[in-house]
Amino acid sequence: MRIVQEALRPDRDKGARQGALHAAAGAVLEAVKAYTASRKVGRMGILEQPERAILAILRDMVVSSPTLTPRASDHAPEVAPARATPERPVSLTAPRSELPAEADREFLREFAQEAREYLEEAGVALLAVERRPDDAEAARTVLRAFHSIKGTAGFLRLTSIVELTHHAESLLGAALTRAEQVGAERAALALRTVDMLSALVAAAEATLEGAPHLLPAGYAALVAELQAECGEESGGDDEAPGSILLTTAEMTAHPPLSRDLEPATARVQTDRLDKLVDLAGELVIAHWMIAQDPVVVSSAHSAAAKKVAHAGKIVRELHEMSMALRMVPLRSTCRRVARLVRDVARQMGKDVRSEIEGEATELDRNMVEMLADPLMHMVRNAIAHGIESPGERRALGKPEAGLVRLRASHASGQVVVELSDDGRGIQLDAVRRRAVDVGLARPGDILGEAETLEMIFRPGMSTADHLTEVAGRGVGMDVVQRNVQALRGRVEVRTAAGVGTTFTLRVPLTLAVTDGMLVRVGDERFIVPTTNIVLSFRPEAGALSTVVGRGEVARLRDEILPIVRLHRVLEVEGAVEEATAGLLMVVGAGERRAALLVDAILGQQQVVAKSVQRGIGSVPEIAGAAILGDGRVGLILDVAQVIGPARHDGGVPPTERAVA
Amino acid sequence: MISSTSRDQNAPTAAPHVTGKYLTFYLGDEEYGLQILKVQEIIGLLPITRVPRTPAFVSGVINLRGRVIPIIDLRRKFGMEVMEPGPRSCVIVVQSGGVHMGLLVDRVSDVADIPAADIAPPPPFGASVRTDFLLGIGKSGSRIRLLLDIDQVLSTDERSDVSALDAAADRGATT
Repeated sequence: MRIVQEALRPDRDKGARQGALHAAAGAVLEAVKAYTASRKVGRMGILEQPERAILAILRDMVVSSPTLTPRASDHAPEVAPARATPERPVSLTAPRSELPAEADREFLREFAQEAREYLEEAGVALLAVERRPDDAEAARTVLRAFHSIKGTAGFLRLTSIVELTHHAESLLGAALTRAEQVGAERAALALRTVDMLSALVAAAEATLEGAPHLLPAGYAALVAELQAECGEESGGDDEAPGSILLTTAEMTAHPPLSRDLEPATARVQTDRLDKLVDLAGELVIAHWMIAQDPVVVSSAHSAAAKKVAHAGKIVRELHEMSMALRMVPLRSTCRRVARLVRDVARQMGKDVRSEIEGEATELDRNMVEMLADPLMHMVRNAIAHGIESPGERRALGKPEAGLVRLRASHASGQVVVELSDDGRGIQLDAVRRRAVDVGLARPGDILGEAETLEMIFRPGMSTADHLTEVAGRGVGMDVVQRNVQALRGRVEVRTAAGVGTTFTLRVPLTLAVTDGMLVRVGDERFIVPTTNIVLSFRPEAGALSTVVGRGEVARLRDEILPIVRLHRVLEVEGAVEEATAGLLMVVGAGERRAALLVDAILGQQQVVAKSVQRGIGSVPEIAGAAILGDGRVGLILDVAQVIGPARHDGGVPPTERAVA
Repeated sequence: MISSTSRDQNAPTAAPHVTGKYLTFYLGDEEYGLQILKVQEIIGLLPITRVPRTPAFVSGVINLRGRVIPIIDLRRKFGMEVMEPGPRSCVIVVQSGGVHMGLLVDRVSDVADIPAADIAPPPPFGASVRTDFLLGIGKSGSRIRLLLDIDQVLSTDERSDVSALDAAADRGATT
């Protein structure tokens, strides 16, 4: 207290007063920290409100003082002994990144979340600025994002982030001050800064899991570049020029992100959310069992039955609501695609722009990440193989800038994502040649368009001469298809030579609920996911034939479909064996189609899929289990496995196959 | 050779951690015990849905309040004579390795407190018979209870042959 009073003596001049205040605040800060550390506040080190407030105020004073230069001694790591000391791969001119104290864990988590959102906004805005350098509003958005991040990073004493954002503000602010356009060069540099900041945020967040706080490689080089570009020293005397442009109100408050049409949101811990969804699902089932209880059913119009029905309505609505909680818009993924298009195009020396439609389309939170990877790969492919060079395009009379379009939408309970390009289309001949090279086809084979297109999803099909740095990282379309199938979805492709290619990914809205058809095989019932079903029909004897060595097939219009006898695959006894007495359900997985022989189709079912593999070993043909309407368990089939590549033999294991 | 009666001072006893309460149940005439901490509940027979391509001792799966759990037929697992479930057959739901499973048994007996002093370690029968799924053999009077290490029993996909053990254990217990 005395130190602070001393510092505030009115007879000191401003400069000295600032300095003294700074030192005083620093001293108080240390004292408070020592105090809280010794008191061992709580499991997470969450401080009591007043102490938190004091710490925040003190920090603010220490960090935002204009005379502040980070000193190595300020950054003694205030961490548990178990953590390693921070490592830095580069020179000593870069300031050390310190680890956040125990008390800041919650702050840090929130900061990381917020920073990511700001950085995403900045990224989108920078892409806009690159395309239209006179877009001052976008430039301001970027400035605001950097400034906001700098402020909170200051609270947490993440000096590397503070320094980088400071330089980034200078970079853009200088241009705006001089009423200049932010040139493409600067925008590109700013984008790299955004990437580095993302890495820094991730590194800081990683310390929450106990990882050492590492400074990403290239940090010092980037800082040097930024300084060179702005001709400014680090930790300069003035505030970054950029902040002058923002009004005082903007600077002191954290401005809200540009969430124009988004409703108010709340942050929820994801494990609580998952638990809620689980419980809601179980409630539906539990209620169903009450409603089906003979006592209730027999007194159908009694007061009790009415109450049960009323409760049922509420339960169903609750369930729908909880399902909706799991959904997130594809926005982030779409933005990543836009960014990737720009990056890959630059890398390949091509001019490509992107169009995104339907970024508000929602998908189950748990599925979004798995969908992103295949999409990114396909984007790389499209630009590397599909889109022609500007010269070629000019010669062909196409617009010099190639187009990659991403369109997301909902259709009959599924999310449909279309990725199209207006490039040269898939070269069918090259694919056929490659197929022969890899042994998937024989030189004399005639492969139709559909068959050829199916080939690209087989392993080993990346065309060798296109194994560039960008596209050929050992990941082929077969991995894309596997990923999409893991989401119980499908990939389809359409192409036209010289015009372009479109990939269509279809995935269910959520893996939690499976929409399927209930089929009967013998005494047992199975669920076939709707996403795999094409149609069903009762075959006539004339449509069936056996092909020696390749099993049974059925002809449907122009298509020859292999027949898969479910009773054999699933080892069910007492099932219908005569195809004409049963039903053939045409299903598809990837580009492969087959006809499943079932006894009967019992109707459509929406079920909550549950994992069943634990405890019984792995059965590839079974994707999961679900509780059916009568409370019994129904097994969900994994169609891709059931009709898989080995099954041209109607499900008969190789040893039993008749010798031709 | 197991020496004579229980409480022989020189007879080896099992490790202290096996002392405690056991849920005992019958498969045929043989009595077994499960550590009570592993037992979640006991339920009657529910409709079992068969799962194709699983070992024979996996009867299938059931719906336990919205959760799908597998049912292990212990008779089959232990290579005993297969029988249809009787009037007192039920399912003991246990938790093992983070997974819930149901064990199909002929009938449940009671919860018994078995002190370590009454538990003998499983005798070595030579390489032909595996005994790692037994925590020990509980003896009280002439009653023999085979105390199962349920984690071991359920961790393998193979059958565990207890019949040889039962015979030897019977020989070992004398009044």
